[in-house]
Amino acid sequence: MKWATRANIHIDRAACAWLIRHHVDPEAEFVFVTDPAEIPAGATPFDIRGVELSHHHGDCSFETILRRYELTEPVLWKIAEIIHEADLDDERYDAPEAPGLDITLRGLSMICTDHQTLSHTTSIFDGLYEYYRRATLLGHEPA
Amino acid sequence: MTRQPANGPGNWVLLSYRMPREPSTPRITIWRKLKRLGVAQLGDGLIALPADARTREHLDWIAEEIVESGGTAAVWHAQPATLAQERGLAAAMAAARRDEYRSVIEQAAAGSANEAERVRTIRRLRDELRRIHRRDYFPPAERDTARQAVEALAKPRTKADAPEMTP
Repeated sequence: MKWATRANIHIDRAACAWLIRHHVDPEAEFVFVTDPAEIPAGATPFDIRGVELSHHHGDCSFETILRRYELTEPVLWKIAEIIHEADLDDERYDAPEAPGLDITLRGLSMICTDHQTLSHTTSIFDGLYEYYRRATLLGHEPA
Repeated sequence: MTRQPANGPGNWVLLSYRMPREPSTPRITIWRKLKRLGVAQLGDGLIALPADARTREHLDWIAEEIVESGGTAAVWHAQPATLAQERGLAAAMAAARRDEYRSVIEQAAAGSANEAERVRTIRRLRDELRRIHRRDYFPPAERDTARQAVEALAKPRTKADAPEMTP
């Protein structure tokens, strides 16, 4: 399936792409557009103003996708808190990881194409997922 | 993030909006978000920020949230007609940040009763500085002074006033 989002991706779009590929559609192909009019026919748009899979009622797109596909795993919601704060910085959650991740992504987007950013961030989000999976199992931060 | 264009006024992103008076909670939520972004208030229901990828996106999402709360909102890209007008706007925004930095400087200078309080104060003021930096588009001189004041608090103490170390 094809998925489309705005070009020059940052934290929310990179995290959404990871979430879609790992938890919604393993065959996902991503298209980056500079204008919503360029969204290919049949592609599902995300993190674009006015579409279903976007910001709604103060949620970021990552949270919207979790709700839409009924992904309730606590580890994913823990990651959602970090993505929300890195993207919106509105202090809805306590996520001290967010400013560091925000800058990491901003830096990556300066030196990478969107497809390169996606491939680098896949490992970052895989790692975060594993870290918080272990933290959830242990009941405390893993060493 | 600072842009003081040499050749003419720079690009700004504007948000015009109206929200129902009741319920008041969404109005307050939006107001807090705009305040946090350090917007310039141009008029009733009209605010502005210097345009960059981050400010445009923030205002887009806030516009969306206003519409979802039953209001109306539009995002505009605009240029002040004159440099003087832009400078006036920038000066007002810098003055608002200056007041915030001064408050940090005063709190850092106030000192603390004991070591535990000192550590808490450093943490709180560093957080506060980070928040102010995010909305500081035209940094006043107090930006550096405030940072120095907070970091001075964090400097290692001399032996005479260091608390006894316990393992």
